[in-house]
Amino acid sequence: MAAPRTRRTDHRSWMRLGICCALVAGFSIPVPAADLASVTLKVQPKMVKVYGAGGLQGLESYQSGFLVSADGHILTVWSYVLDTDFITTILNDGRRFQAELVGADPRLEIAILKIDAENLDFFDRSQDVELDVSSRVLAFSNLFGVATGDEATSVLHGVVSAKTMLDARRGVFKTPYRGPAYVLDAITNNPGAAGGALTDHQGQLAGILGKELRNSLTNTWLNYSIPIAQLNPAIDDILAGKSRPRTDDETAMRPDRPHTLSSLGLVMVPDVLAKTPPYIDAIRRESAAEKNGLRPDDLVLFVGDRLVPSCEALRNELGFIDQIDEIRLVIQRGDELLDITLPGLKNANP
Amino acid sequence: MKQLLPLSPRALSLVLLLIPAALTWGQQPEPSLDNLEQQAFKHAVAVASPSIVRIETIGGLEKVGQLLLGDGPTSGVVVSADGYILSSAFNFVRQPTSILVTTPSGKRAAAKIVARDHSRMLVLLKVNSQESFPVVPLAPREELQVGQWAIAIGRTLSPETANVSVGIISATNRIWGKAIQTDSKISPVNYGGALVDIEGRATGILVPLSPHGQSSELAGTEWYDSGIGFAIPISDLLPHLEKMKQGTDLHAGLLGVTLKGTDIYADPPEIAAVQPKSPAYEAGLQAGDRIIQIAGSTVVRHAQLKHALGPHYAGDQITIVYRRGEDQTEVQATLTDKLEPYEHPFLGVLPMRDSEPVTVRFVYPGSPAEAGGIQPGDRITRLNDEPAVSAEDLRVRIANLEIASEVTIEVLRSGAMHKLTITLGTFPSEIPASLPPSRGSPPAGEATVTGKVEIKLPEEKNSCDAYLPENYRDAIPHGLLVWLHEPGTNEFDKLITAWKATCERDNLLLLGPRSADPDKWDPTEVDVVRAMIDEAIRSYNIDPARIVIQGRSAGGAIGYLTAFTHRDIIRGIIPIDVAVPRRTTLKPNDPVERLSIFSIIPAQSKIKPGIEARLKQLEQMKYPVHKVETANAQGRLDAAGQQQLVRWIDSLDKI
Repeated sequence: MAAPRTRRTDHRSWMRLGICCALVAGFSIPVPAADLASVTLKVQPKMVKVYGAGGLQGLESYQSGFLVSADGHILTVWSYVLDTDFITTILNDGRRFQAELVGADPRLEIAILKIDAENLDFFDRSQDVELDVSSRVLAFSNLFGVATGDEATSVLHGVVSAKTMLDARRGVFKTPYRGPAYVLDAITNNPGAAGGALTDHQGQLAGILGKELRNSLTNTWLNYSIPIAQLNPAIDDILAGKSRPRTDDETAMRPDRPHTLSSLGLVMVPDVLAKTPPYIDAIRRESAAEKNGLRPDDLVLFVGDRLVPSCEALRNELGFIDQIDEIRLVIQRGDELLDITLPGLKNANP
Repeated sequence: MKQLLPLSPRALSLVLLLIPAALTWGQQPEPSLDNLEQQAFKHAVAVASPSIVRIETIGGLEKVGQLLLGDGPTSGVVVSADGYILSSAFNFVRQPTSILVTTPSGKRAAAKIVARDHSRMLVLLKVNSQESFPVVPLAPREELQVGQWAIAIGRTLSPETANVSVGIISATNRIWGKAIQTDSKISPVNYGGALVDIEGRATGILVPLSPHGQSSELAGTEWYDSGIGFAIPISDLLPHLEKMKQGTDLHAGLLGVTLKGTDIYADPPEIAAVQPKSPAYEAGLQAGDRIIQIAGSTVVRHAQLKHALGPHYAGDQITIVYRRGEDQTEVQATLTDKLEPYEHPFLGVLPMRDSEPVTVRFVYPGSPAEAGGIQPGDRITRLNDEPAVSAEDLRVRIANLEIASEVTIEVLRSGAMHKLTITLGTFPSEIPASLPPSRGSPPAGEATVTGKVEIKLPEEKNSCDAYLPENYRDAIPHGLLVWLHEPGTNEFDKLITAWKATCERDNLLLLGPRSADPDKWDPTEVDVVRAMIDEAIRSYNIDPARIVIQGRSAGGAIGYLTAFTHRDIIRGIIPIDVAVPRRTTLKPNDPVERLSIFSIIPAQSKIKPGIEARLKQLEQMKYPVHKVETANAQGRLDAAGQQQLVRWIDSLDKI
């Protein structure tokens, strides 16, 4: 006859379990910090490999990016790689997505892409960190495009070499960004690395890796990152709907007599690419464009608050502005960004 | 179970299970090694960076050589509280009109260069300021270990904070003992700044350096941020700091010996020649001595001697231990910064080429030999009581003697011994008007290869022609005339026609290496030319005393480069309408590796002044230089000129 399981025996086994736990706990305190291997395992799922336009004349057709939302918003750099309707992204696990350009801020040289996915691992920007000189860093990117398919992006290590303003003198740094930057003691200035993530040794986001840039003060290549704090307001704006190009499904009223390129006196470069960047080729004499300071070789970035990433987008956008209304433009001339306003026609043609 | 505790057993178990959670609640993760190192980096930078100052320069050249220089701020290291700063010579290569240093209080003050270290490419600045500058703490050089943390600090990127790069010490004692090597990123961003250890103590001043011995301020700058960078140990400079503060420049220390052999990693340090009036000469060293110890290091190879001497400055006194025969002697020598240009002492004879020991072929008119009574046909048996073994032996021994010194020569003439006393002179400026034949009996042996042949090296794409005279015999050493063609032409066949008779009479071979690209020579092909000459030496019997290069314009420029790079085999150069190229480093005249120049200048040449200026430099360095002007615009010599050139080649083995 089997002895019934008494309450006494029951308690004894619980006691043994409890004593074992206490003993185990005694030996395992204190809790060790995460090592670099586990930190990289934590970060890699947030990294994205971006492929787009380029591949000619030594300009690579790839760059890096990272997820900033669970449903697929990717932060990357604003560059020629995005000058195409077919931006492909590959995640850490090898899944491939077509990405859409949601918006960009050319002043900060960033862009946000969107892929159709959900429940993705992403950098929670409320957890980002600020670094000082000598802070140890990790840089995650697809430099040289060496990671393919389902390979993880590459990791570099180093320290923050300096914190400085990229606004030195005109022409020193060929970028419109004029704010603070981390100069890195890690070779991040490589093809394809731009758009990658800069983190501390715990994997917390600190910045985005910058584009290939030369420091003409010392005549050397610059390895730098823009601190995420400088980008957060712009990222939030883009996610909220600002600085976006107009999408096809947005319905807005088109005026009967809108502005046109020719009424403004603008001749753009031949629209031969899928997305030709809207550079001004020529300006008609005595036109509104000439009188208000536009010049050939200017690149039109924004019409009002709308990003115009191509000649076609520019033409389209003008079609929404009545002749009598003014046009506010943001253009890029060399490495400076300028605001130019073209007035509306005083006497509208009936 | 008895109820011993106030809690029921079940509750007690739960409490026990919860103990770990309670204990770890709110506990911070233990600082990892990673974090501790980061803190250490920050601390080291905080300790050292007040001693790294920002230097700004104003004015000066925009471009030096091919390098367009940035004009941003640079860095320097405080070595003395009254405002003495050490920095890299790179930072001042533009010769700025003003130098400004940011003082501890943040103001800018003027500074000037007080002295330069030409050996290590550093400058010492003095800041015009009353403020006290924090001196950088120093790390003892003996404590330096490969693999330890090395933090490079500069002050170029930001006015307020120093810029930092973290790496390790990759090697100590690089660049012949002068530098520490690190993999921290070294670039104009921190040249002139400091390399510090994990405690913030300075180990060296960051500089660009080239391991290949080039000594300009810009050498090595193309290697910035590349994983290899150099720092000059400050401890090497401290003993000389007072001298520099007084305004005395430092130079690399020279000894004045030429060593035997060509492989610095295999050959022992045996002296081939001692330069007169040099520190080695004053210390009593002679040709044939074997150096055992120098400057505190035992040396068994050339390279070790270079390593031991490399860090020393002119003015340093060093100990040398040498062996002569069975005896070992220790002497002191004080290194100098400049050796007097070496001038060849001259006896005044040409040797016959078919008899050893030396039979006199020709006595130069007006020479010490003539004055001393030597006659053609004499057999020179002894020089200064030592047997005269060969013409080469005599040449080397006389090269080691001083001009105007007396020598005793024993000659055998018609069976009788004559002892002559002769005072050595200098090389004549004139080429003799005629020369007797250099060989007595006609050549013996079988005819082997003659006529035009092709020389091919498997690893080079360059082709090469050679010409052997009809009377070529392997038993007879032949001189070698290397013709470097002008780009776009190939006149080797014309050369054969012009030189055929001379080759037969004077036992000369012709060699015509061709450039890989028929339209131009590349400076890297200097080594290919050498390889072709080596192949000729391997295949035929070549007289080492008469290997010469001839070339016109671009071919002549490559000829100059080859001659100066391969001093060990080239004895003469015949440049036609070309000056010594700018990029050639003019090495001092060598007692043993003679290089004579026969320069042909067309009268209408546009670059005549340039050619003559460079020749003048060579003459000042006591190279034997002979100039000829031609009426012909191509530099073609007339019959008399050609004969003179032939006799010049024929007399290259003069003693």
